[in-house]
Amino acid sequence: MAGDLTKVELSNLDKILYPQLKITKGQIIEYYIKIAPKMLDLLAQRLLVLTRFPDGIDKEGFYEKDAPMGTPPWVKTMKRFSETANRTINYVVCNDLDTLIWIANLASIEVHMTLGQVDSFEKPDLVFFDIDPEPPASFDNVVEVALLLKEKLESLGLASYVKTSGKKGLHAVLPIIPEYSFRQTREFVHQIGKHIASETPLVVSEFSGTKEPGIIFLDYLQNSHGKTMICPYSLRATPKATVSTPLEWHKIKKGLKPDELNIFTVPKSEKNPWEDLIGNRQKLEVK
Amino acid sequence: MAKSSEPRISKRPIWSGRITIGLVNVPVKLFTMIFDKSISFRFLHKQDGQPLKYERVCIKEDKVVPWEDIVKGYEVAKNEFVIFEKEELKAARPESDQRIRIDKFVDFLSVDPIYLDKSYVLTPDKSEDAYSLLLNALYGMGKAGVGRITLRTKEYPVLVHVYRGALLMTTLRYAYEVADPNKLEELKELKEPDKEQLTMAKKIISDLSGDFNIKEYEDTFKEKVEELIDTKLKGETIVVKKPVKEEAKELMVALQETLKQLKKK
Repeated sequence: MAGDLTKVELSNLDKILYPQLKITKGQIIEYYIKIAPKMLDLLAQRLLVLTRFPDGIDKEGFYEKDAPMGTPPWVKTMKRFSETANRTINYVVCNDLDTLIWIANLASIEVHMTLGQVDSFEKPDLVFFDIDPEPPASFDNVVEVALLLKEKLESLGLASYVKTSGKKGLHAVLPIIPEYSFRQTREFVHQIGKHIASETPLVVSEFSGTKEPGIIFLDYLQNSHGKTMICPYSLRATPKATVSTPLEWHKIKKGLKPDELNIFTVPKSEKNPWEDLIGNRQKLEVK
Repeated sequence: MAKSSEPRISKRPIWSGRITIGLVNVPVKLFTMIFDKSISFRFLHKQDGQPLKYERVCIKEDKVVPWEDIVKGYEVAKNEFVIFEKEELKAARPESDQRIRIDKFVDFLSVDPIYLDKSYVLTPDKSEDAYSLLLNALYGMGKAGVGRITLRTKEYPVLVHVYRGALLMTTLRYAYEVADPNKLEELKELKEPDKEQLTMAKKIISDLSGDFNIKEYEDTFKEKVEELIDTKLKGETIVVKKPVKEEAKELMVALQETLKQLKKK
């Protein structure tokens, strides 16, 4: 029966990978199967970096950039030079359900993806705003900054999408036509960050300021060749098994509890707020 | 892929010369008749599917060594070698004199099969009468000729005998190549069996007795791999079927649901 439905040889399904909630690898695979209809379009044609936790999230996980030994021949892989890693990496590409199940079966709790698709690796189609709080800055502060960012982008005629990071922050993403270099997108995010920083004392846009307490950093450096973003709908290796969850902008308000978006609750939602993201690639022009 | 069929004997002999029995000569040609049919695989580079080549790399320099710089060494002790030049070995090798020299004749069945190594077919080389004479004489008496041949550069003891209307030459193992199991301690201490038990054992054996037929045995691994090769050539993917474990049942329900949804797209 398994063989008829998936090519993946599932293993160690009852191994507990989230010890606090006693979540097994089988449940993690089940989550990824359930979320696949929403997730697959968003991570298709992108190079993936897996964070594997073979012994559970309390033990050290490891980043796996290269397709691991024993990758089955039907799993698509692609070699690309990564400037970040300064070497050629044989990345995994996930365009289908079987590959996603295979990834989950590797105990890859977190799946990270590049900001450009494989056919335009040098030219990203996503501009990534990483809104990351430094304690005691609260999640409500993050919400405040995200809404400022959304307004700023709207005033420039740009539609953005938002998701929880699954940890402390929010991620805003701008889908763009892949015509710009990372240097251009990075500079764009940097400029927007500087603007917002000039309008609110909550935000810093420069790296050096980030260790100050109570400050929110708009990390523009993530928009670099070979850097990755946690995939929308990826699980995070947190004790509460949170999910980096795409949300509609009107859900982003004070009191939002990102911890409540987790392995159990997220598959219940019918909506995929990022459904039209890829179809809504915009020109990065300031109107 | 064709099912494993009987191998065919090549049209080209691997050796030709003559069987010499005293002053009598029977000119013959020698053909390979034993073929290793086990499945073999080649190593490929996983990423691009290209075959790998082997190179002779010097352990110390980690560099490929060209053929002209290679000599043979006999390891006398660990990492200690006596070096031989090509010419030295050549001089020591026996000359091929194109002969199968028969020293004597023995009862074929008296030759312990443990010494039989590899068989070749002999065919007459414009010597049909002499060949037929030797064949029929050996067959009639149940005898085989024991002798020597030099094939390429190695000398072998051989047996010339009859098999299915042909003369065969079977190379033999040297005595020093075969160990004596009787030297094993475990076997020296074997006790005489109980008589009743022995009768019982013999009865079981006679009940299970039949004619020897090698065709009753098939290489199942080879057959399975050949089937897989057929499937792969047709472009089908190979699914390893395993029974679903209890903990995977729920997973399979989710999987069916998702597959349905993905199909709708």
